[in-house]
Amino acid sequence: MKEKKSLGYEYLKGLWEVNPVFKQVLGMCPALAVTVSVMNGLAMALATTFVLVFSSLLISFIRKLIPNQVRIAAFIVIIATFVTIADLVMKAKFPELSKALGPFVPLIVVNCIILGRAEAFASKNSPFRSLIDALGNGTGFLIALVVMGGIREIIGSRTLLGYQVLPNGFEPWLIMILPAGAFLTLGLLMGLANFYVDRKNRIEKQELVQKYRKTPDSVEIKGQEA
Amino acid sequence: MKSVIHMIATLTIIGVVAGGLLSEVNNWANPLITANQKAETEKAIFLVQPNGKSYEPVKSQELEIYKVFDENKNIIGYSLVSAGNGFQGKVKIMTGLNNDLSKIEMIEILEQVETPGLGTKITEEPFKKQFEGLQTLPQVKWVKGKAPENPNEIETITGATISSKAVVDIINFGLGKARSLKEKGAL
Amino acid sequence: MELFIIFLSAAIVNNFVLSLFLGICPFLGVSNKTSSAVSMGMAVTFVMVLTSIVSWILFFVILVPYKIEFLQIPSFILVIASLVQFVEMVIKKVSQPLYRALGIFLPLITTNCAILGLALLLSMREYSLIQSVIFGLGAGVGFTMALFIMAGIREELELTDVPKPFRGVPITLITAGLLALAFMGFAGMI
Repeated sequence: MKEKKSLGYEYLKGLWEVNPVFKQVLGMCPALAVTVSVMNGLAMALATTFVLVFSSLLISFIRKLIPNQVRIAAFIVIIATFVTIADLVMKAKFPELSKALGPFVPLIVVNCIILGRAEAFASKNSPFRSLIDALGNGTGFLIALVVMGGIREIIGSRTLLGYQVLPNGFEPWLIMILPAGAFLTLGLLMGLANFYVDRKNRIEKQELVQKYRKTPDSVEIKGQEA
Repeated sequence: MKSVIHMIATLTIIGVVAGGLLSEVNNWANPLITANQKAETEKAIFLVQPNGKSYEPVKSQELEIYKVFDENKNIIGYSLVSAGNGFQGKVKIMTGLNNDLSKIEMIEILEQVETPGLGTKITEEPFKKQFEGLQTLPQVKWVKGKAPENPNEIETITGATISSKAVVDIINFGLGKARSLKEKGAL
Repeated sequence: MELFIIFLSAAIVNNFVLSLFLGICPFLGVSNKTSSAVSMGMAVTFVMVLTSIVSWILFFVILVPYKIEFLQIPSFILVIASLVQFVEMVIKKVSQPLYRALGIFLPLITTNCAILGLALLLSMREYSLIQSVIFGLGAGVGFTMALFIMAGIREELELTDVPKPFRGVPITLITAGLLALAFMGFAGMI
């Protein structure tokens, strides 16, 4: 009965609870490689979301027609088709961005998020739910990439979206826009996310324990009084 | 047996539909992509030849070089593309040259993957400005840690010596090829 | 000399894992033990060399002459997937010990972006067939090296007292960051 969760939940879970980058540890290659600036991260996330949404939708529509044995092959072809479309459109309309992202647009094909969502969700759920799920995961990926890109751009080159935000007196930390900075930023962010979740869980547990403790305690006291 | 046919049929249909869709998208995108690339080259050609109004590619197997003309169709110089290894990878440079290849008008870095913040300074104005009006005979030279004395010298960037030297080497490499073309009368 | 530069560049200076961020998933997943890191690295190197040959032929002999480069992504991924399947079958038939060593890693390779990245890069850079093979070999050696060093560090890391929120992936990423910094020292070799 509890199987059908609310649509709001299907969307929101992707943002934080099962955030593709921070929680599922998927799609690490683009998360690390293209996030030297917010703009690159944004473009990459939008391209990925485009592929994720359309392939999830299509896979969900034809999920009953695809024989089980060849489903992965079929999924890959569908995903590769949408990736090629995204790649061609970017090359045609946004040549600068396409150059900045380099081979990472074609590499969306092997981004585990997309095949993962296709296999785990879209092949089992209705098109509408798959759409919501894909949008949620896409937004989660977007948040992760923009946060990473933002941190690296501000500290590494003093700018945000190309506008200078830190004073000239601040010497940019070059390491942040180097490959090493990508690993360090993501590692620290994940650690921070874990820390926050741990603390929240601990507080919730304590509250629960206290609540249970209180009830029998007060009953006992009342009993003694009587 | 039936399931095998079903499997093959599904995959074939998906493949055909995907292929058809892609060729449509490609038909739409391809002219735009070609136009983008052309516009980019064109922009770089005129960037290093500010007085240029039109250009024409020189037919050559070994070198990408363009003749640049002013508004009266008089040849004012050449824009030459050369590439080589920098500090971390390929560096591609467009060099604007005068008529007899003896002076550089301006340079532009087309592609580079140098260390951000250090090697990438080769793409910044102060470094590129050193090449404006630089003599190329007998060839471009670099000096380190002092102001250049001769008209064919530039000063390397502190912290990016290898990248700066690479730029000089790449320009000399292109120049050498252009000169030999000129001797053969192909320019 | 040029071939040597391509090899060195792919293996060390522009290491696939540490500076191009290709193949991060197996890098994080299979770098627990040095022994499995070596097996995985060998499997990847093997598939990379084969991929470089097959994708070079596919791209320059079929796709380019017929002007259907836009089918590059679907065709590459299908070829890589079938190649991995094929290699798995052959190894199983030919050598049982080798299959036991590499077998479980092979299915993981299909979705390894390092392999597709290799195929895309060699077509982008317009390498010749021999250059492509050397490039594939270099990339594989570089991958194995990164995986092996990482596994060595992680074996030591097991015994240290890492703050709880940083255990697992976060500390691995931070270690990888330091490793990437160390590898930057090789820049300028070419």
